[in-house]
Amino acid sequence: MDYRKCAQEIYDLVGKRENLVSAAHCATRLRLVTNDNSKVDMKKLEDVDGVKGVFSSNGQLQIIIGTGAVNKVYDEFLSISGMTAATKADVKAAAAAKQPLPFRMIKALGDVFVPILPAIVAAGLMMGLLEGMTKIWPDMANSGTYQIFHLFSNAAFVFLPVLIAVSAARVFGGNIFLGAVIGMIMVHPDLTNAWSVAGMLEAGEKIPQASVWFGLYHINLTGYQGHVIPVIIAVWFMCFLEKKLHEKVPEMIDLFVTPLVTVLVTGYLTLTIFGPVFSTLEEWILIAVQWIITIPYGLGAAVAGAIYPLTVVAGVHHMYNTVEARMLGSGYNTWMPIASSANFAQGAACFAVALKTKNHKFKNLALPSSLSAFLGITEPAIFGVNLRLVKPLVCGMIGGACGAAVGAMLGIGATAYGVTGLFGFLTCADFIWQYAIMLAVSFAVSFVLSWFMHSDKTEEDEGEAVAEETAAPEITCEPGKVYAPIKGNVIPSAEIPDETFAAGVLGEGIGIEPAEGVVYAPFDGEISSTTDTKHAIGISSPDGMELLIHVGVNTVAMEGDGFELFCAEGDQVKAGQKLMTFDIEKIKAAGYSTTTAVLVTNSDDYANLEINEGGCDPLDCVITVSNEESKPEEGAEAPAEEAPAEEAPAEEAPAEEAPAEEAPAEEAPAEEAPAEDAPVEV
Amino acid sequence: MKKFSYTITDPVGIHARPAGVLVKAVKPFASTCTITKGDKSVDLRKLMALMGMGIKCGDTVEVTIEGADEDVAAETIEKFFKENL
Repeated sequence: MDYRKCAQEIYDLVGKRENLVSAAHCATRLRLVTNDNSKVDMKKLEDVDGVKGVFSSNGQLQIIIGTGAVNKVYDEFLSISGMTAATKADVKAAAAAKQPLPFRMIKALGDVFVPILPAIVAAGLMMGLLEGMTKIWPDMANSGTYQIFHLFSNAAFVFLPVLIAVSAARVFGGNIFLGAVIGMIMVHPDLTNAWSVAGMLEAGEKIPQASVWFGLYHINLTGYQGHVIPVIIAVWFMCFLEKKLHEKVPEMIDLFVTPLVTVLVTGYLTLTIFGPVFSTLEEWILIAVQWIITIPYGLGAAVAGAIYPLTVVAGVHHMYNTVEARMLGSGYNTWMPIASSANFAQGAACFAVALKTKNHKFKNLALPSSLSAFLGITEPAIFGVNLRLVKPLVCGMIGGACGAAVGAMLGIGATAYGVTGLFGFLTCADFIWQYAIMLAVSFAVSFVLSWFMHSDKTEEDEGEAVAEETAAPEITCEPGKVYAPIKGNVIPSAEIPDETFAAGVLGEGIGIEPAEGVVYAPFDGEISSTTDTKHAIGISSPDGMELLIHVGVNTVAMEGDGFELFCAEGDQVKAGQKLMTFDIEKIKAAGYSTTTAVLVTNSDDYANLEINEGGCDPLDCVITVSNEESKPEEGAEAPAEEAPAEEAPAEEAPAEEAPAEEAPAEEAPAEEAPAEDAPVEV
Repeated sequence: MKKFSYTITDPVGIHARPAGVLVKAVKPFASTCTITKGDKSVDLRKLMALMGMGIKCGDTVEVTIEGADEDVAAETIEKFFKENL
């Protein structure tokens, strides 16, 4: 199911942001508080793909979505509506607390990246194409159009920290505009561009510095272009601080004190502590990588190829340009094949997911992401797909390692840096077939592994729906038989805790003390009545039996709350088809008995009515009616004591066995009954 | 033929239980009893059909009784409506 689409449709139908007060979710339901419930299009809401039911209760609009899916729809809903629900923190914290920290961090990373993926997919594809084309036609770089397009292609990457900061602020529940400010601080034009640092160092230029913490130490005034982790950490801290301040600061001065202190403290800590710590870590990684690739026999290359995507996640890959520039000074660039196979492998892993998944949203995301990766821009594939599922990332790492090892053994070297993937052929002109083999190895290993490892089931909780299907096996209906519509315990109708039902006013039959809140069709037939309050269904069989399924006692007073109908008047239904769901707990909470009356409303028409008491599973035979012996059964004729003897013959005389057969008697007995009754009784 | 109009005052309208009681009240009479709401009419003896009308509180219905015992039937049924619905 497409969570985003589902959330978007719900968002539109509830009257968009201006009609929303808050949003939360429980295990199965999206719970929304709206300004005006009458603006909500309930009918259309029910038709939204993924919505299993809708009702409103205590001013809360509850949309049933189901376990496993509701939290995803909710996440999308928040991202679409831009809400930062107050209740979300509790719900999320409770859910997140159950998972180990690394998973929570990966999830947070995914949550942050998903909403901004369209931007980086667009930029990634554009950048890959442009860079490739300039390799083919070097003159193109001088054209004005190219320069403009180049601007478009790297805008999302140059200002990536702003996008990430906004998204992270939303995920962590802070003010998204303050988040944007933090992101902007990190890529402020007054700071030296991170992409230029390598070149400047190479050229022997000095990076501007600033003295911080009252002269305690100096930091490089460099920006964080292309960085991910430091931004997320900074914004996480900002949100934490902002929430604390909102709690502590008196309301009167909250509006100006909190944002001011939040930005000041977070900004200073980011540039002086978070940032430099990460820059130092990045340098160490770089040193480590440079050492690793000196290991001979392709082993070093394999290790580097494996960890390359992790360095992309950490955001240190832009530093590789330094390494590559140095290599080119003394021969071929041997780092490029490693990066290329690592990127290609991530693309292949993502491609496998794209082809295999049945989740449309994921497919639509994974396909362009993998294309972008084949062109050398892997962020969409890694953050959007592989890292979130973890397995494809690992498969891609293995594929990348294999490819890099092959590349090193074949002695591939590039004559430039900046492009990887398919366009890498252009810079590896001396090693065309070797490069092709390397990419093929990366692709094959990664694709095959990812294909076999990926399974939608772990991502989605579709077990529930499957279980429901299997619980309703098809059966062949025998005329005159009623198959249990609900799983539970069967009692005689006389024991239903309600005198109207017990007295048989509505007909004879059974009561079921339900164990599950699902009503299945008790035989093949037509739905003859439903009610607005959704708690009762009338169904007629082709042989003329009329059955009333009335869930609970007095539940009409619940006005539909907790009930969901899956059929409408006039529908032809098959035995075992789901007709209704009801919330057992809700009925109990409202103080009503859940005992469900299953009554043959025209039981007067039958001489015999037998029931099978005790526990029943859906579609066990629970009531059998027949006219085989025309002598009235004890109790069976209670509602019309004087009539049975005359009534029965009046209708059934022409065809004693009619109800036990099919076509000829279809509607006839039921239609004619009253008309014939009358003269007989006079 | 006898006729009367009645506006339902029972807050829950003619749902399963009241319908059952009503059908039971009508059954002993020989006359044909029809209930009409808007352009929809059904036989008052047919529980399913009656429930299917979805008659709610505030709806005005018309009841027609025709047959040998229509006088007594109309009186009893009208009384039943007033007392129970």
